[in-house]
Amino acid sequence: MNPVEKAARDSNVEKCVQCGKCTAGCPSGRQSRLRTRTLVQMAYQGEDVTGLPELWDCTTCYNCAERCPKGVNTVDTIILLRNLAVKKGNFPKIHLNAVENLYNTGNGFPLSPEVAQIRAIIGLDKEPHDVSTAPEELEKVKRIMDITGFLELVRGDRK
Amino acid sequence: MKLSLFPGCIAKNMYASIEKSTRFVFDRLGVELVDHRYTCCPAPGVFRGYDIDTWVTLGGRNLAEAEKDGLDVLTICNGCYGSLHGSNQILQEDIEKREEINEVLEQVGKRYNGGVEVLHFADVLSTMHDEIQEQKEFDLGLRLAVHYGCHYLRPSQHHESVNVENPHIVEDILELVGCESVDFKNRLSCCGAGGGVWSSDEEVALGVLQEKLAFMSEAEPEAILDICPFCHLQFDQGQKRLQKFSIPVLHLNQVLGMAFGERPKKLAIHTHLVSTREIEKKVKGLKKNL
Repeated sequence: MNPVEKAARDSNVEKCVQCGKCTAGCPSGRQSRLRTRTLVQMAYQGEDVTGLPELWDCTTCYNCAERCPKGVNTVDTIILLRNLAVKKGNFPKIHLNAVENLYNTGNGFPLSPEVAQIRAIIGLDKEPHDVSTAPEELEKVKRIMDITGFLELVRGDRK
Repeated sequence: MKLSLFPGCIAKNMYASIEKSTRFVFDRLGVELVDHRYTCCPAPGVFRGYDIDTWVTLGGRNLAEAEKDGLDVLTICNGCYGSLHGSNQILQEDIEKREEINEVLEQVGKRYNGGVEVLHFADVLSTMHDEIQEQKEFDLGLRLAVHYGCHYLRPSQHHESVNVENPHIVEDILELVGCESVDFKNRLSCCGAGGGVWSSDEEVALGVLQEKLAFMSEAEPEAILDICPFCHLQFDQGQKRLQKFSIPVLHLNQVLGMAFGERPKKLAIHTHLVSTREIEKKVKGLKKNL
């Protein structure tokens, strides 16, 4: 069994009856090429969907998973497929900024000087009490990501 | 009650007005909030989609910080709730996975034993109706379009205490401070920002948002009411990006803060992109007539 097929099976995908409730209730699908029903079918049949750009158009709203009459966890399937896509070197470069922010500051959205100023004016600590202002803790956070090989993984350098 | 506040990246670093009102409201309700050295939750639809192992390990590190002090975690963002609740569920139920994660955490001197509960602030507020009523200085009388946001409601097996098909937990709180929630089509739909779509595909993110805003605006609310800073960001920045609509956006804690008598300026709601001037004027008027 190839890894895509395995990921699909882990999410109950074999129970899919192709009714299409997932696609019908998908807010992203009305705006994008994302067709959850088709994606699930392709993944189940072992087709390589990890290069499809629409894999990244799911907002993870879970409408589809809630409405599925067969209990297929469609969103978790998409998340697993994204993980596989990244492992295969298909990480969309547009997301690299978020990863680098997380690695360098501990936050997906880092503090800007403007907001630091607002924080001070409204009586909050100018810089939040988190890892970004605790160098020793931030080093530990980086170490965790070094151990999981996160940066190499998304950059496609992982051996 | 004493809880560890998990403010999340956006309330800390982009909409500090939400962190401010959260601290104000919970202080007034007699809940002590403790700060810990947290990272991003990390975002469930974003970082979990890149690498589940890194996501759950960093989630475990966050939970370990609160566990050290024997505190449960208070989230004020649906993303943080979904993320930490999700990773906590894995770490509490899958002992093998927990040990695998702990092998990494122990290399930086940490460990998580599964002893923390992750709470959403709306659920905590729903147990404090009496305290909210005691703290209320006046009825705000605002007509609000309530946006629940996806990761509060779904997956529903993560949140069995809430009626996900027809929730009214937020409406019940708003009623305590004299606010009316307006009905609109597809009221439980997505804001369009999640899953990394906000940063990677603006057209899709704004398309989903526009659909929601169109239904909301038909009901002519005075403001949009959210319980999530990321949805808040999407509504506030998105209306500017769309160059359409100009409905003020308020987080539930901002509304409660005003009803508890704090001046809107002190809660910094004027730092939002969509003008909140009409709301500020109304609240000022109410305060004057006390």
